[in-house]
Amino acid sequence: MIEVRELTKRYGPTTAVDGLSFQVSPGTVTGFLGPNGAGKSTTMRVLLGLAAPTSGAALVNGRRYAELRRPLCEVGALLDATAVHGGRTAYDHLRWLARSNGIGVRRVAEVLEQVGLAGVARKRVGGFSLGMKQRLGIAAALLGNPGVLVLDEPVNGLDPDGVRWIRRLLRALAAEGRAVLVSSHLMSEMEMTADRLVIVDRGRLIADTSVKELAARFQRGVLVRSPRQGELFGALAAAGASVDVLPDGGLSVSGLDVARIGELAAARGIPLHEVRPRGASLEEAYMQLTGGDTAGLAAEGARP
Amino acid sequence: MSGALAAEWTKLRSVRSTYYVLAVVAATPLAAALMAWNGAHAWDAGTAEQRAAWERSQPLEAMFLPFVQLSAAVLGAMAITSEYATGMIRTSLTAVPSRSAALAAKAAAVAGPVLAAGFAAVSATHGIVRLIIGDRPLGDYDAPFLDSVPLLLSLGLSVGAVALVGLGMGAVLRSTAGAIVTVCALLFVLPVVAAFLPSPWDERLAGVLMPDLAMQLAGAAEDPLLPPMGAFAVMAAYVVAALGAGAVLLVRRDA
Repeated sequence: MIEVRELTKRYGPTTAVDGLSFQVSPGTVTGFLGPNGAGKSTTMRVLLGLAAPTSGAALVNGRRYAELRRPLCEVGALLDATAVHGGRTAYDHLRWLARSNGIGVRRVAEVLEQVGLAGVARKRVGGFSLGMKQRLGIAAALLGNPGVLVLDEPVNGLDPDGVRWIRRLLRALAAEGRAVLVSSHLMSEMEMTADRLVIVDRGRLIADTSVKELAARFQRGVLVRSPRQGELFGALAAAGASVDVLPDGGLSVSGLDVARIGELAAARGIPLHEVRPRGASLEEAYMQLTGGDTAGLAAEGARP
Repeated sequence: MSGALAAEWTKLRSVRSTYYVLAVVAATPLAAALMAWNGAHAWDAGTAEQRAAWERSQPLEAMFLPFVQLSAAVLGAMAITSEYATGMIRTSLTAVPSRSAALAAKAAAVAGPVLAAGFAAVSATHGIVRLIIGDRPLGDYDAPFLDSVPLLLSLGLSVGAVALVGLGMGAVLRSTAGAIVTVCALLFVLPVVAAFLPSPWDERLAGVLMPDLAMQLAGAAEDPLLPPMGAFAVMAAYVVAALGAGAVLLVRRDA
């Protein structure tokens, strides 16, 4: 369980996090989304006791991180997978971590097995690929079998196999009842993985919602295409719908559902080439929320 | 705390740099042996005047001490600066959130092997040189071995002190180069500065600088500024100041 309450963090004149509040519940993967520089990493650093908040609090299981007696057994974190000493072996890296929290050394072999690094356990980390380092970072996070996981951009720089592996792992960890917070600056990654989304921009909370709710919120009318568009326009308008012509030639209809539109067209013998609910993709919703590429959103219309 | 110490000990043992530094320390008795062998030959071939000039030379373990101290400072500084260089300090501090405990664990993990290596290096140097010099009146090697014990203990202790100063400066500066430059200034630059000061300030400053402290602590210095306990207090003050500054900054700063 993670609770961030009215968290503010300033660096000199810059406000990195501005009155941010949200929660991460057990059994869910929460995607922590925002553009680069939105304050995600800063929030995570405060949560892990690495940075002191200017005001507010970030609590793990109801306590500040510094108050945790064996922190690795309550929170597993991966901030920067490349932040390891290249001269140390994977096994030794995990061994010192295990010792620091009184975790049995047998656990080291288990997590190495779990992330698929058992074969290279005695190799120096300096020779690892980014993907292998990410796996080592995940192994470190899992070492104390914690109920809370905090992962900063864990799929950055991974190949498709690695991305799929992390996705499945996160789902499995949440299914075991853990609270998982994963940051990303790409909505497309979170769409597949997260149950809930916490979206931030410039340090402020933009949305705290589920993936489904967000999709529903950005549902906008129905897209219709027909070779007899002008005729259809009239019929739809007469039936009380508000109709816009999209730049690519289709019609955007609101006020009527797909079934009514189909029936109206059939009654008049107007052929339809396409009729479907016109939802913004989550990517577009996210862009619009974070004030990103709104012009592109308006122009593109529905996306297949 | 015991977990933090075990972790730091594991860290220290699992990187090659530790062994490189210890190898350099282990090489000093060999270098001293070569010098002693050369000195013994020169003595045997020397004229009475030359012998008179050499008779009061400094013991070789004291001459080689700064190299052992500097090696120890590198080990101490790297214990924390290597973590800043790689970013691993964040992992360390999430594993051990109490920062003063984390630094104390590093200090303890560094002090143990460094003190052992320091004592071993100066004792081995003394023993080997004593065998080579024999009963020639070079340095004090013709005195009974037990007379040398206070000096060897003081030199060894100073190696540990310099390592901890290196660790403290590493925590303050977060940079290996910065920490080593600071230690070099303490060991090599300030003594030169002191020598250029007008009397009596030259001796007063030199007396509280690292290089002279070990001899004064052993009661082996000619014309000491400080009594042995005073020298011990100044040496301890270096360690406390460096580690204290490191701890305060480590606690205050965001990682």
